Amino acid sequence: MKRMMRVTSLLTLALFVGAGCTADAAPPASPYPAPAIGKAAPEFKAVDTNGKAHSLSQYRGKWVVLEWLNYDCPYVKKHYNSSTMQALQKKYVDKGVVWLAIVSSAKGKQGNYPPDEMNALTKEKGASPTAVLLDEAGTVGGMYDARTTPHMFVINPQGTLMYMGGIDDKPTARAADLQGARPHVDIALQEAMAGKPVSVPTSQPYGCNVKY
Amino acid sequence: MNTPRLPDLEIRPTPFHLRAVAAALVLVAATFAASAEVVSTPHVKAELLLEKPSIAPGESFDVALRLEMKEGWHTYWKHPGDSGEPTDLTWSLPPGFTAGAIQWPYPQKISLAPLTTYGYEGEVMLLVPFKAASDAKPGTTARVTADAYWMVCEKVCIPEEAKLALDVPIGAAPAAPTGPAAAAFASTRAKLPAATTGWNVAASQDAKHLVLRIDPPQGVTLGGDVQFFAATGPLIEYSAPQTASVEGDVVTLRLVRSPYLTGTPERIKGVLLAANGAAGGAPAAFELDVPFSAAAAAAPGVTAAAEPAAVPPTLLVALALAFAGGVILNLMPCVFPVVSLKILAFVQSSGDDPRRVRAHGLTFAAGVLVACWILAALLLALRAAGEEIGWGFQLQSPGFVAAMAFLLFGLGLSLAGVVEIGTSLTRLGGGSSSGYRSSFMNGALATVVATPCTAPFMGAALGYAMTQSAATSMLIFTALGAGMAAPYVALSAWPALLRFLPRPGVWMVRFRQLTAFPLFATVAWLAWVFGHQTGIDGVLRLLLGLTLLALGLWIWGQWVTLSAAERTKWVARTAGIGFIAAGLVLAATSAPTATAAPTATADEGIAWEVYSEAKVAEQRAAGRPVFIDFTAAWCLTCKVNERIAFTSDEVQQLVKTRNIAMLKADWTTKDPAITRALAGFGRSGVPLYVLYEADPAAQPRLLPEILSPGILMNAFSEVK
Repeated sequence: MKRMMRVTSLLTLALFVGAGCTADAAPPASPYPAPAIGKAAPEFKAVDTNGKAHSLSQYRGKWVVLEWLNYDCPYVKKHYNSSTMQALQKKYVDKGVVWLAIVSSAKGKQGNYPPDEMNALTKEKGASPTAVLLDEAGTVGGMYDARTTPHMFVINPQGTLMYMGGIDDKPTARAADLQGARPHVDIALQEAMAGKPVSVPTSQPYGCNVKY
Repeated sequence: MNTPRLPDLEIRPTPFHLRAVAAALVLVAATFAASAEVVSTPHVKAELLLEKPSIAPGESFDVALRLEMKEGWHTYWKHPGDSGEPTDLTWSLPPGFTAGAIQWPYPQKISLAPLTTYGYEGEVMLLVPFKAASDAKPGTTARVTADAYWMVCEKVCIPEEAKLALDVPIGAAPAAPTGPAAAAFASTRAKLPAATTGWNVAASQDAKHLVLRIDPPQGVTLGGDVQFFAATGPLIEYSAPQTASVEGDVVTLRLVRSPYLTGTPERIKGVLLAANGAAGGAPAAFELDVPFSAAAAAAPGVTAAAEPAAVPPTLLVALALAFAGGVILNLMPCVFPVVSLKILAFVQSSGDDPRRVRAHGLTFAAGVLVACWILAALLLALRAAGEEIGWGFQLQSPGFVAAMAFLLFGLGLSLAGVVEIGTSLTRLGGGSSSGYRSSFMNGALATVVATPCTAPFMGAALGYAMTQSAATSMLIFTALGAGMAAPYVALSAWPALLRFLPRPGVWMVRFRQLTAFPLFATVAWLAWVFGHQTGIDGVLRLLLGLTLLALGLWIWGQWVTLSAAERTKWVARTAGIGFIAAGLVLAATSAPTATAAPTATADEGIAWEVYSEAKVAEQRAAGRPVFIDFTAAWCLTCKVNERIAFTSDEVQQLVKTRNIAMLKADWTTKDPAITRALAGFGRSGVPLYVLYEADPAAQPRLLPEILSPGILMNAFSEVK
């Protein structure tokens, strides 16, 4: 019996190996479940440019906006040089919304700055996010499948994802295209905070690729 | 005739030979007439080109924007994919001239993990159709200018702008294309996607995919090497692999949905590139624009309208279902032989230290779990590799079936006593390391043989697992394994239960021999499955192979004994292994027969027709209710259902009076179309029973996996 079981184990092993050979190496799948509208937004922890730790759960009870940021990206510049991003930040931070700008640029890649330089840039641009989070390892970026800068997420006080996608519907880097664009994030926040369903809960994110 | 103006070419007083060179240059430029003013930006060289030396008044012609990117940099197609932006031109034209939209040659996929974009590296020509003013004066030149804008990216992206100009010489009559630019124009035109009038393209979707069924007209063979570039977004996940399956000339392309796409897209627009689609195996691109609504009603999978029918269970429910399914698996005919093996081991170890028994229970559980994980990992790897598979898929391979028959027949022979195992038998539960190993392997074996039995509950849970991330799938499989192992862990944790078992004695040997028969029965069933795959000749080879296995084991049992001389043992071992190997080769080399698809069968007194997407569409279009039986020869649950439920007179009567089209989708051997259809209903295995009402707008109804005549009668009598 023992010997038989050994034969069995060899055979079983051979079967698995044999079956395994027919499969090509699988591409590495994202280790995180994809974020989805109406589902809980992924919980994350990150440290901001002032060394302060932030987590999504600490903002339960508040509306949260996540903005993927790379100050050197032309698409980000489009929204900062025209001051539309700053205006949007101010409008909602004044209403008590937590606005987290997240920089997922890896060390040495475009958009990655040391904390003090990042603070200086934020000040110079007149931006007023609640905090600028540093995500050099791309962990938070991976959790949210952040693809572009900018890439926007709106999370309600219960931690549910209400909007994800582009900042507006004109996927260009030209400031002229701000005219007549539908400001997806602004409208989503207005609707959601008024308790209405978000009319456009997802849109194609556009911009530079996140420099992971 | 005027010579076109040359860019920044100042002719200063110079020595004669230089002047001659300059003059020659002017002549050359005049010959090609494409008076290019090359503008260089930091990353791109850009110019506007003509292919003809002159254009006649009123003539339609093309102007090309030629972009030459710095090495490693790229510009974008009309839809850029995950990031980027298409090149844009704003024209200033002389009176009477008109310019159309950019004609984009098909792009290439440019991947920068995790993103994929559509664009051009090296150089590209973007063609713009023009019409000259009908009152243009021959002998003059018309100057067109463009504000060009493009996003050029390597790892970083730079928006660039250029003012471009082109002088168009007006001739009296249309001229023929000449010069090097003409060749470039021609090769660019070959890359423009062709129209697809007369093509039959249908779009459908499931929870995770958009599916294009592409049936080109006669004379076009796409082949399997195709890829789709979406022209709008959000539509597809650009970086996801696209799987194409080819049946005759029909190509079915599965595209992963973009997570940013909600609901049903109105149309699927884009370009299909067939790497060998043109005559002579050259690449060919085709413009696709498929409306969704018309195809949705005819598609067999869960289409937009039918989506609610396949709402996946939440993770917790799926885990609970998987656990329950695992427990029930123990009662399934395919696991039963191994259950008896395990009971035997428990009986033998009942006199032992309870801790040891508990350890055996846990080891068995570990075996079950590890095997589940390996199966799950295999399934995930295969799925990722684009294989169209589902639960029980191993049994679609005749080689696997033959190997399983060998394994179980050999085990049966050893239990029946052909191979002397008297000494090791007592050791099995005795706590040696090998005893634990056998417990572990028993667990693994139980899992492997359980796969063909998609127990009730388990179907939905597995279907759910297949549509989820790798981590979730692993969790589901873990719950399944835990459920399967639970009874044994419980039995070993409370040895009191074991005390009810009788004391060891001669009955044990008989019991052991008795347990051989369920194994032989399983082998008989496997031979039947093998017969479905390889035909009657294959069965003969398998049975002869099993005979050789028996001979080899018998030799082993007779002469590889403790008392035998080393030389005898060596010869016996070699001969035994030789026979077994020969048997295995004989059986495993049986060629699978291409099963001639029967057009109809009359099993169970019902006129079954063979399932196909087209058949479903045709029957529904004819206003008939449609019932689909997804089944396979190796699926015992399916066979039991068919014998019990469909043989009922009342059911057969209802099928006739309600005029239900009965379709059978046989998954015994690999069939991508059926796998896709299953996935469309959120399943990865059989059985599956689907009922469509006559109303073409009605959603399909899924019946339970365990059928009774009552269930069928209820379902069929509600059909309108």
